[in-house]
Amino acid sequence: MRSLSGLFSQIITHLPATVLGVCLASNALAELKGLSESEMSEIDGAGVGVVLENFKFSHGTDQPGAGGNNARVFKIGGIKSTSGQDVDITVNRLYISGANSNYGDNLTAVNLGRLINPWRIDVVNGNDIGIAEKAVLEFAAPAKVSSAQGYDCLSTGATAGTGTCSSRPAATNYIGERADIGMQVNVGIGADSSGNINIHAKSAVVDGSYLRLWGDDARKQMVAQFKLNFYSDELAIDVCAQDGSSCDSRIYMSDFVMELALGNQLQPLFLDVDGGGNFVIDIASIPQPSAGQIGADGLRASSNNQTWDFYNAYYTNPEYRSNFSIGNISVGSKNFGSARIQGVLIQHLSIRTKDL
Amino acid sequence: MSTGGAIFKLVAGFCLCSLVWPVAAEMTLINDDALSAVSGQGGIYLSGDVSINELGGPINNSYFGSCSDAGKKCGARLAFRLKETGGWMVFDDIKGSFAFEGLTLGMRTIDSGFAGDGALFNGDVVELGLPNTVRYNDVRFKLSASNMARPTDPGFQQTDMFAIEMQGGVIMEGNLLVFPTGTP
Repeated sequence: MRSLSGLFSQIITHLPATVLGVCLASNALAELKGLSESEMSEIDGAGVGVVLENFKFSHGTDQPGAGGNNARVFKIGGIKSTSGQDVDITVNRLYISGANSNYGDNLTAVNLGRLINPWRIDVVNGNDIGIAEKAVLEFAAPAKVSSAQGYDCLSTGATAGTGTCSSRPAATNYIGERADIGMQVNVGIGADSSGNINIHAKSAVVDGSYLRLWGDDARKQMVAQFKLNFYSDELAIDVCAQDGSSCDSRIYMSDFVMELALGNQLQPLFLDVDGGGNFVIDIASIPQPSAGQIGADGLRASSNNQTWDFYNAYYTNPEYRSNFSIGNISVGSKNFGSARIQGVLIQHLSIRTKDL
Repeated sequence: MSTGGAIFKLVAGFCLCSLVWPVAAEMTLINDDALSAVSGQGGIYLSGDVSINELGGPINNSYFGSCSDAGKKCGARLAFRLKETGGWMVFDDIKGSFAFEGLTLGMRTIDSGFAGDGALFNGDVVELGLPNTVRYNDVRFKLSASNMARPTDPGFQQTDMFAIEMQGGVIMEGNLLVFPTGTP
């Protein structure tokens, strides 16, 4: 039986040709022209753009009715605690709404993605993104744009030319492309269950996020590069009693920024399942330079130039680093000021699930 | 034949001709250029009800469709490998049914709206009108990691990571617009 990574790399090798074939076939006969070899080599598979217009999503779990049956159920289960008890996560509410939803009470519509900068599913030429000689399957959110055209990622009143995000906030005559997202969950361990935990993100933007998948020849394995950007004007967390009668004071995090980079061109993320049926995620260490390649003073002049350039690119590329920052944390009427973690470079990571 | 009858036939014949004539007068040929500008305007309206391995099928007794018998798996299983010699990622025990009313599929030309983006875009999209509500009936699946493709394979071991259960009406409103990007 053929492994998925093998099949996958075959598919992505052939996909651009298929896309090209379909594109050519759909044109009128009169418009068919011969392409020279050099023209053909310039062709990159065009992707598919996706925009959700006037979108609204909501699901959850209702309180049991008179017959003990729930009208709606949304549960995540199958997890066991260390003492062997079942852990049930009940999602009471999950919503995606437009602006001013008042923490999901008033669902409005929102556009996700822009017609001129949509969500994208694409097979891209690896040479253009630093993954040499590979066709790369990419799922991408709207791309970041230059700060001359873009909108501030956090401000709900941002205007053009204030930042690098492409998605626009809601305005008086437009619903905008930034969604209010929220969920209420309840964690039950055995017969005990927690209060309801509410998480709401206002005016959330994920511009510049992507998932890239390709095949690694040497390891014969599927590898990935994952970038998750998440910007929100306000992230609010609170805990309420199960019947919703009383809530603790909300924790507000204003100007929430997360730019998470898992895997990069030099250290991709390896996905696998081991012989014991456990899921494994690896980011391999970057190789050490061999002796004498990097000079004792660490400067380029005393080092092998090619090796020095490689490590310099690895250490200085901001795309490889994760950043987290919060403008202000407040609980009740107390302000705790800002928090910031910047420039986290994941040098090695190995996560393995284990059956209990 | 009487004269009256002949006159009646003449008048009737004339009336018939007068009915036909204006129709023929409005038929014009469409040349290739004009024809190439004509596009189908139709769309599709879909309603659906899909059941997968729900309650073990049409019969549910101790022999047929019994989900409690471990030897007879009830849910569907989708297993795939991420590495040539590695284990299997599995979507297991996929079962349940969902129904929707009013999914629409059609073409749409967008040249305005979207706060200025429509005019810049000025093109055609495939529009998938979401059905407003999708009704789930006991939809479940598990995400697992397994060392064998099938539970009947020797030495089978599986770790279930989590299971999802959904029931009831999911609100899903809006239009999904799909179009080609880039300039091939």
